[in-house]
Amino acid sequence: MVNDSGDRHGRIGSEDIGMDQMARNSNLSRRRFLQASAAMGGVVAFGGLAAACTTGGGGGSTKGTFNWMTWSDHYYDEQLAAIAKDQEIKTSITELADNSEGYTKVKEVGGQLDMISGDALWVPKYFEDGLIEAWDINELEVAKQLYSIARDFSIWKKPEGYLGYPFGWSPVQLYYNPKYVTTTPDSWEVLLDPKYKGHIVVENQPVEIVAYMAKFAGAKDPYNMTDEELAQAKDLLTLLKPNLLKLTQQNTETITSLINEEAWIATGNLGAEERVKEGGGAEIMGFTPKEGTVGWMDAEMLVKGGKNNSLLKPFLEVAEQAEHIAENFIRYGRPLFNESAYKLLVDKGHKDRADRFLYNKPETVNTMTLKGPGSSTQGAIDAFNEVFGA
Amino acid sequence: MSLPSGVGLKGVPLVQPGPAAPSRGLGRLAPAVPGAIALFLLFLAPMAFMLVFSFWRTDVDFNLVPDWNINNYTKFFTVPTYLRTFLKTMLMAAAVTAAGLAAALPFCYFLVRYVSRRRQRLVLLAVIVPFWTSYLLRVYAWQAILGERGALNQALQAIGILDEPSRLFVYNDIGVFIVLVYVYFPFAALALYAALEKFDFSQLHAAQDLGARPDQAFRHILVPQIRSGIITACIFMFIPILGEFLTPTLVGGVQGSLIANLVVNFFRGAQIAQGAAFAIIIAVFVTALLVVFRKYLRIEDVVARE
Repeated sequence: MVNDSGDRHGRIGSEDIGMDQMARNSNLSRRRFLQASAAMGGVVAFGGLAAACTTGGGGGSTKGTFNWMTWSDHYYDEQLAAIAKDQEIKTSITELADNSEGYTKVKEVGGQLDMISGDALWVPKYFEDGLIEAWDINELEVAKQLYSIARDFSIWKKPEGYLGYPFGWSPVQLYYNPKYVTTTPDSWEVLLDPKYKGHIVVENQPVEIVAYMAKFAGAKDPYNMTDEELAQAKDLLTLLKPNLLKLTQQNTETITSLINEEAWIATGNLGAEERVKEGGGAEIMGFTPKEGTVGWMDAEMLVKGGKNNSLLKPFLEVAEQAEHIAENFIRYGRPLFNESAYKLLVDKGHKDRADRFLYNKPETVNTMTLKGPGSSTQGAIDAFNEVFGA
Repeated sequence: MSLPSGVGLKGVPLVQPGPAAPSRGLGRLAPAVPGAIALFLLFLAPMAFMLVFSFWRTDVDFNLVPDWNINNYTKFFTVPTYLRTFLKTMLMAAAVTAAGLAAALPFCYFLVRYVSRRRQRLVLLAVIVPFWTSYLLRVYAWQAILGERGALNQALQAIGILDEPSRLFVYNDIGVFIVLVYVYFPFAALALYAALEKFDFSQLHAAQDLGARPDQAFRHILVPQIRSGIITACIFMFIPILGEFLTPTLVGGVQGSLIANLVVNFFRGAQIAQGAAFAIIIAVFVTALLVVFRKYLRIEDVVARE
């Protein structure tokens, strides 16, 4: 039996009767309850908003938390913990995958981010679009530890000041495991060899991956390609796709893939071989493709209107000290711009390693095709999506 | 037996709507204000921005230019890759939804019918426990399980099914399917449990006493009565999967991309107008699906079960 008053089995128990009585009596209390809930919701939302607005140092404070969008190899946990303890400056980090992603993010959120890392020609792009502040990096005592060339890159110099605090650099290299890649490669072409199907790993940076193929195709400027060059790069991407195992989100993931040997070939920065070895992996070899490569040199940029920008210079003053930078080099391998850290590495017996990875030759950056925004970005993403979609 | 209108069993009067409360103007709307503000700020306004941007274009300097056009939409429908990827995404969502229902229905049936109330709660807690850890960690854990040197490969090698590690389970569509079924199973289980819990199983016996085969009793007695749970489970699984990005990224490799992965590439490449158009297309499709689901599901079925 089913009736309208009971449940579908026709049962009405004491519990139901109680509910009915409550329902009859609850007209006013329900309204009050809803109003109280609404008020409480408003208070909680307002409180949350207020808390969010007051997070960090605010104003001219030199203690607090700031928001930093950066790559995972720009810091290490013990370094941040030590700064948090000694300086009372904490970091809220958002991982950065690609320059264009960071650029878009700053455009969207502006001063909600305080500091962002960016590469080479992207840095002046940020400045030209009014997203970052130029400043005198020599205000910082630690800037004296930089190679002089790093304080004088023309692309980062403006009448208003310098556009970022120089951090590190590297040409993009190809790495291979000689256990599986027995013929010594010297070209981007190795990425297209069907022998290595499903054993190649590259970082998930669509514009860069298209640039690698463009380099192999002989494009003069892989970020400002003609339609014809773009079409050639796309054809090569089609050959590359079956060889790729996965697109990694950060270079630390690339290193892991080389360590566990699921990847036989990978793109990476200088020093990847050491990181693989230290991670317990096999000996791998690296080379610069004969067609040339793209490279990056990055800087920490101060976002215009950053809510916690009073924390940034005190943070950089400590975070960029030679001891931290030397440790960063040991952990992540690629060369950095702090000359004092190089001397420290030499003193600690790491000269051979530092020299092998060109730490003592920062002028090499002038020979690389630098990463930057270009006119063919949209075309590159279209090409990438059309190949890597289903 | 029928009862006089307004009278329940044992003569208990039914709830009648009370006299209309005196209007207090806008004050009556106050409880709805926080929700309305949240809905407007967090959903309607961003969607409106996206809709507008989707008809603009991004110039070579990555600026959004209000140069009204429909090129961003035509690209979706004229470049075969995008349509293929969207179709693949729908097939994946359908397959995962079907597998999730197939796994959750017998699980919940057994739970409701044969497990004591107290133990049911413990089992349900176990179903919910994975939500206490982050989605990212759970998917990373699956990378470790399904990988070439992962637990699954080792187990299959140990029992002699495989001679050497296989990549069958990861960096392809199979890996994406397995992980998505795992991720969305709890949603299906909870929705079906809520429906089955209210089902009177004696009806199945009654149907069989009257000559129905077990499968007939299942199809004609059980399924219609848990229809709202099934549809809710479908909504909770199928629709979010259309926007899945993380799982295909981490366990799909280059072969397992779904449509959201391509959309993300546009946003990462600062091609906001193009990305917005694709996102709107997916949103419109989801809305259309909800309208279809709505035809089969009264909202009271979900939020105010009898």
